[in-house]
Amino acid sequence: MEMKKLLNDSKKVATQYTTWVTFVGLLLLLSILTNGQALRWSSIRNLLIAESVRSFAALGVGMIIITKGIDLSIGYVVCLTASVAASFAQNPDYSSAIYAGQSFPLIVPIIAAVAAGGLFGLFNGYLIAYGKLPPFIATLGSMSIAKGLQLIYTRAAVVGSLNQNFKNISQGSVGPVPNLIIYVAIVAFIVWVLLKHTRQGTHFYAIGGNAQAARVSGINVERDLMMVYFYAGLLYGTAGTLLASRLGLANSLTANGMELDAIAAVTVGGVSQNGGVGRVSGMMVGVFTMGLINYGMSFLGVDSYYQQLVKGFIIIVAVYFDMKKYARRA
Amino acid sequence: MDTTFALEMEGITKTFPGVKALDEVTLRVKPGTVHALMGENGAGKSTLMKCLFGIYQEDKGIIKLNGKEHRFKDSHDALNQGVSMIHQELSNVPERSVAENLYLGREPLNKFGLIDHKKMNVDTSTLLKDLEINVKPQVRIGSLSISMQQTCEIAKAVSYNASVVVMDEPTSSLTDNEVQHLFKIINQLRDQNVAVIYISHKMEEIFAIADEVSVMRDGQMIGTYDVAEMTNEKLISLMVGRDATLRFPEFKSNVGEVLLKVENLSSPNPRSFQDVCFEVHRGEILGIGGLVGAQRTELMEAIFGVRATSTGKIYVDNDEILNMTPRKAIDHGIGMITEDRRGSGIFPLMNISSNTSIASLKEYLNKLHLLKHKEMKEESVRYNKALRTKTPTMETLIQNLSGGNQQKVIISRWLMTLPDILIMDEPTRGIDVGAKYEIYQIMGQLVEQGKAIIMVSSEMPELIGMSHRVMVLCSGKCTGVLDKSECTQENIMRLATKFM
Repeated sequence: MEMKKLLNDSKKVATQYTTWVTFVGLLLLLSILTNGQALRWSSIRNLLIAESVRSFAALGVGMIIITKGIDLSIGYVVCLTASVAASFAQNPDYSSAIYAGQSFPLIVPIIAAVAAGGLFGLFNGYLIAYGKLPPFIATLGSMSIAKGLQLIYTRAAVVGSLNQNFKNISQGSVGPVPNLIIYVAIVAFIVWVLLKHTRQGTHFYAIGGNAQAARVSGINVERDLMMVYFYAGLLYGTAGTLLASRLGLANSLTANGMELDAIAAVTVGGVSQNGGVGRVSGMMVGVFTMGLINYGMSFLGVDSYYQQLVKGFIIIVAVYFDMKKYARRA
Repeated sequence: MDTTFALEMEGITKTFPGVKALDEVTLRVKPGTVHALMGENGAGKSTLMKCLFGIYQEDKGIIKLNGKEHRFKDSHDALNQGVSMIHQELSNVPERSVAENLYLGREPLNKFGLIDHKKMNVDTSTLLKDLEINVKPQVRIGSLSISMQQTCEIAKAVSYNASVVVMDEPTSSLTDNEVQHLFKIINQLRDQNVAVIYISHKMEEIFAIADEVSVMRDGQMIGTYDVAEMTNEKLISLMVGRDATLRFPEFKSNVGEVLLKVENLSSPNPRSFQDVCFEVHRGEILGIGGLVGAQRTELMEAIFGVRATSTGKIYVDNDEILNMTPRKAIDHGIGMITEDRRGSGIFPLMNISSNTSIASLKEYLNKLHLLKHKEMKEESVRYNKALRTKTPTMETLIQNLSGGNQQKVIISRWLMTLPDILIMDEPTRGIDVGAKYEIYQIMGQLVEQGKAIIMVSSEMPELIGMSHRVMVLCSGKCTGVLDKSECTQENIMRLATKFM
């Protein structure tokens, strides 16, 4: 009897914290497989840095999925914003620079990229909230538009030779802590406050949970929906800036497939595709779980083609359990 | 003496995490009878039927059909064995035709293994004709009225030639005429020796159609009785486990000044409400009567700003409100409890506390514009306590509560916005007798406090028993307003069918 209760309780905890359990389990598994080699601080630090940019995208799309939406444009919007940021941070003496001979204050690339992301967000949000387009289609369209704009803007060339000040935004560190990790922590905190402690955040959950009931409860569903895409756009702009700064360049392949990674991460992190459910902590753990899987497989020498395969299965399995968990009780 | 039962369910026990939903329940139904199954919401009626229909697997117990033991894997299996069910909610595919819906999952095939549409349409046509349902098999089912869709659902259940047909609140969206039609169909089934299990909260229907009645309470079977030996009061006291002599509470309110005035309100849709005028006073319950399709809900939604209007004026406290939206309505002290609790009422995956506070977030912001979670929760608890919402904790997801308790949470939500005017669209739909009485009591208290209530109701006794005045709509037009003294079933019916 006692045993059964204990088993039941642990089962309850396990379902409630699936994300954390998976993360810790993977961590243990990896440390056993590599005799603790994989868990050295330097490796973990690299993992955190590698995943940090993705977490901005994940936080953005996480909020969107809470409102029962989706965003397929992430990868190319980040690519476009990275290119915009990079174009304003090129060394003025670089002959192939987009604005050759001109140099801009450090704030310009940041503002330009975040504004570009925000505009794309408003565009998506307007189409979805007021134009009543299905999010899947609206963002599929804007994905292609972002890709086109990026190619036109850069003339399909690499935007390289970035100045050191700009590169330091991502590459620097405060003591032992890399800048990127600090940025992630700050932004995650802001999103947490937004979702947990503001009216609008509560409205996002309500809209995802039951849009009609939200409307009757006096929530301006259209405005809030547009804003969630706008906020996500700002986050993509931030991601673009930091990515360009970290890589020291941007080209048409930058951030390719980031939408897949971000959506997978938040889904693994317990954000339900049915809408109305999800937490910032889950989203972050989801990002690092996916990162850990990638990193672990690389460390163990798994062919990168197989990594793609594994990632696909993980997404399917995560959504499968998500759907089972929240299936409407008959 | 006839000892074979069409259906025997013996010692059925079903446990969900934390709840014993069914405790050794036994139900025996004779062939060729209509067997009513009654009980408050949460008594276990639906769970029992879901066990019968293979949607749930019972933990313990035996199910016998015509004396032979069966265990249904799923609903498909149950249908094949001769058990069919009309579900409370519509479960059709709106974009497909009537025939395709009727034969969904068992489409007749031709010799090439493709669907034989011709046979399907002919068979459907014959079936519908037998049941005197006037619909073409090729019509898209979504284009029919809700009540006609429900009627088709009934035809579908009949078409399985089942020996046991379960009807779970089949009349919830039917008009009186259609209910009579349904009873005709049920009588036809009874003559064909089919056992009909009839679940309903409406006493009038039970006495009109059932032969026997089984009463459940708190997951247990209280007993099976002959309907001929039953009275209204006896049945209610069996269900709630106490004497319930009063169906409506007494309340004394002073009807005061006009709170809401609606002038010549019309919908842009010419087939919806047109040119409606009325007033509601402080301390008054204004009932809105009419048949399904009278556009009562549409009118209420327009007043609350969910639906557009073309012409007309809405005054709250003598101020004209232009371009009404739900937000504006709430800010002017109007609250609305919608008819469709699941569709536009609850946030299923949110807990009780969040479901209660969602319409009042504005009032719980601190200096930094962040939410005051603690105060918000305390207020939610206070309102739900006052309405006696039964829930394990405030963190429980609302989807895990019974209909009556969900309704109390939604009433709490609106009370928390401190409204002067509360629109209640079918406030007791799908709610059991005990909880119904409690909701009536709450309504009485609210008008005693000087609030005004507009209550849309399709239940005549409720309309007559609760309202100070009743406005009747027919085909979108106001056909009359009756004072308490003139409120009789006949008068309301006369006005409700004026243009029919």
